[in-house]
Amino acid sequence: MHETSGRLDDRSRPTIVTVTGLAKTYGSVVALDNIAFAVRRGEILGLIGPNGAGKTTLFECLAGVQAADKGAVAFGDGHETACRGDVLFYLPDGIAPWPHQSVAWGLRFFLDFFGGRQDLYEEVVGRLDIKPLVSQRIGDLSQGQRKRAMLAMALLTPQPVLLIDEPFEGLDLRQSRETAKTLRWDASLGRTLFVSIHQISDAGRICDRFVLLSGGHVCGEGTAAELASLAGNRPGFAAPADFEEIFLALT
Amino acid sequence: MPSLRRPWTRLVGKEWRELLASRAWWVMIFLVGPLVGVSFISAVRRYAEASGLGGTSAGVGQAFSPLDGIWVPTFVAYEIAATFLLPFVAIRLVASDRRSGALKLEVQHPMSPLSRVAAKALVLFAGWGLAGIPAVAAGILWKGYGGSTYGPELASVVAGCLLNAGLTIALAAAVASIVENPSTAAILVLSFTVGTWVLGFIASVRGGLSERIAGFTPEAMSDVFQHGLIPLGTALAVLILIAIGLGVAALWTRLGVSARRRAFESAGVVAAGCALVAACTLFHSSWDVSEDRRHSFPEADQKALAGIKGPLSIEVHLAPEDPRRSDLERQALSKLRRVMPSVRVRYVSATSIGIFEQANTGYGEVWYDLGGRRTMSRMTTEEAVLETIYGLAGVTPPQETEPSFAGHPLVARPRGAAVIFYGLWPALVAGLALLVSRRKR
Repeated sequence: MHETSGRLDDRSRPTIVTVTGLAKTYGSVVALDNIAFAVRRGEILGLIGPNGAGKTTLFECLAGVQAADKGAVAFGDGHETACRGDVLFYLPDGIAPWPHQSVAWGLRFFLDFFGGRQDLYEEVVGRLDIKPLVSQRIGDLSQGQRKRAMLAMALLTPQPVLLIDEPFEGLDLRQSRETAKTLRWDASLGRTLFVSIHQISDAGRICDRFVLLSGGHVCGEGTAAELASLAGNRPGFAAPADFEEIFLALT
Repeated sequence: MPSLRRPWTRLVGKEWRELLASRAWWVMIFLVGPLVGVSFISAVRRYAEASGLGGTSAGVGQAFSPLDGIWVPTFVAYEIAATFLLPFVAIRLVASDRRSGALKLEVQHPMSPLSRVAAKALVLFAGWGLAGIPAVAAGILWKGYGGSTYGPELASVVAGCLLNAGLTIALAAAVASIVENPSTAAILVLSFTVGTWVLGFIASVRGGLSERIAGFTPEAMSDVFQHGLIPLGTALAVLILIAIGLGVAALWTRLGVSARRRAFESAGVVAAGCALVAACTLFHSSWDVSEDRRHSFPEADQKALAGIKGPLSIEVHLAPEDPRRSDLERQALSKLRRVMPSVRVRYVSATSIGIFEQANTGYGEVWYDLGGRRTMSRMTTEEAVLETIYGLAGVTPPQETEPSFAGHPLVARPRGAAVIFYGLWPALVAGLALLVSRRKR
């Protein structure tokens, strides 16, 4: 199994986002069906699933940039409810916003428009190695450079929950590791991260808990150990050895 | 809760930067100079010829007004730009956020969708305002040639130009927000423009309701303002139409709301807006700001007509395309409506062109009914209409004391205009575009 030091699997942590009965269809295609799970405060939760599982649709429904057909999303710990915009920020994958503007302008825009965390600016820029890119136009960046620039912008937002769609997409191995470290550093500052990942190895490296999504259904939710136990109960999958086998067993 | 004022200011700044990054806007700015130049230079030449240059009989230009001779032809350049260039600028600014994914980020801010669309509209108006610099240059040149300018009528032309741009921006913003593809949005906006032209044609042939609806098309609205008339109802209706367009655009930027709900809400906004536009037809006030008071009877007649009591109704037996009908409407009835808002005018005809009705005994008759007293006339001139109404009302026609408009003939060549509009302006715009492009890198 992958390293687990410093990870959070404390069930007593309050939930900050609760999803119940979420459903979404595109015509006759069911993208999400009766999705239910909870995000706990301070954890890094991984949304794992193959391509076409519905990960992006789920994130967009949670963030309110796409309408869900059914279901409810509650923000807060049950005692205090909050507005979506005050609780979470969503960074989509594969976007190239404001392609004619520089990265420096983009970072400044995030700080000013979303009321971002000015005190983290230097740290975020340094950790994601953005300094050489700040004067370049966003539209001129390579996929990996753009991903890092967008991650930097997202990390500056003030919301306590950050949804990131495919944070490692387009990054090389070294960059993936540095990005994973940066996300963990951000979580250590008290932020809850909910990341969608289709590379199982990346997910195992960073997440405290997982939501397995396949064909629009939640196939499992829990820590790696809990999912291993769940997978072990499936016929033909006695005690899977690693996270990839757990994933295959449950999806 | 942080103040939303600063984010909105930032959003306006962002939209401004996006406008400066838009090739469509630079192309529009670049082309407006030569377009205004062609219009202005040929207008000045024609004005000079009509005023006596090159052997034309002196005195021909005595009734010439710079409004008709210079400003209306010059501002035609802006009608062309508003129809064929501005929609692309607006569509680009609205659609680029959706295509690049920026909208998915921006909608997560608690700012209202209308505020977001208002930021875009404000920047587009500012961008259109900069396109007005060649018109300002034309004004300065005209004054430099010794030309006369009457502020209120020029302001009316500018107001018509701004309202026309507002309609274009609102329509383009609404369509670009609804459809995903900018090319589709451009086709739809241009189709709408062509549709208004078709409506205008149908209105001129059929008259009736189509004629009233056609009065709210950008072309018809501009035409009214360009002739120095500011009708309150039309101005309000255009402002409402602009609000409808921007409102619909705002509704469709709410990505988290189902398309079905957005469609229903849009239909509601459009229906409510149309009801308000219909209500605007009840406003009959208008201001004649032309220097020659072309939309008004002489002051003495205005006073005499205002004193006539009793409902006046006029039945006109002329076809929509009969030139006598447009003469009657332009020279007398439109002025009569301004001074006697309760006057009822009814057009009666069996055909649109009237050629085959000429043999009918009643064709060409204009029947006047004032409090039950009826009379008929076939004359369509201002003087004849007034005389008929005074006769019916038993009022002595007032003495004409007002001096007639003398006009402002001017024999001047468009010196320096070609250099400014065909040389300096394009060079300045191209240089600025290059500078802005390099500074951003």
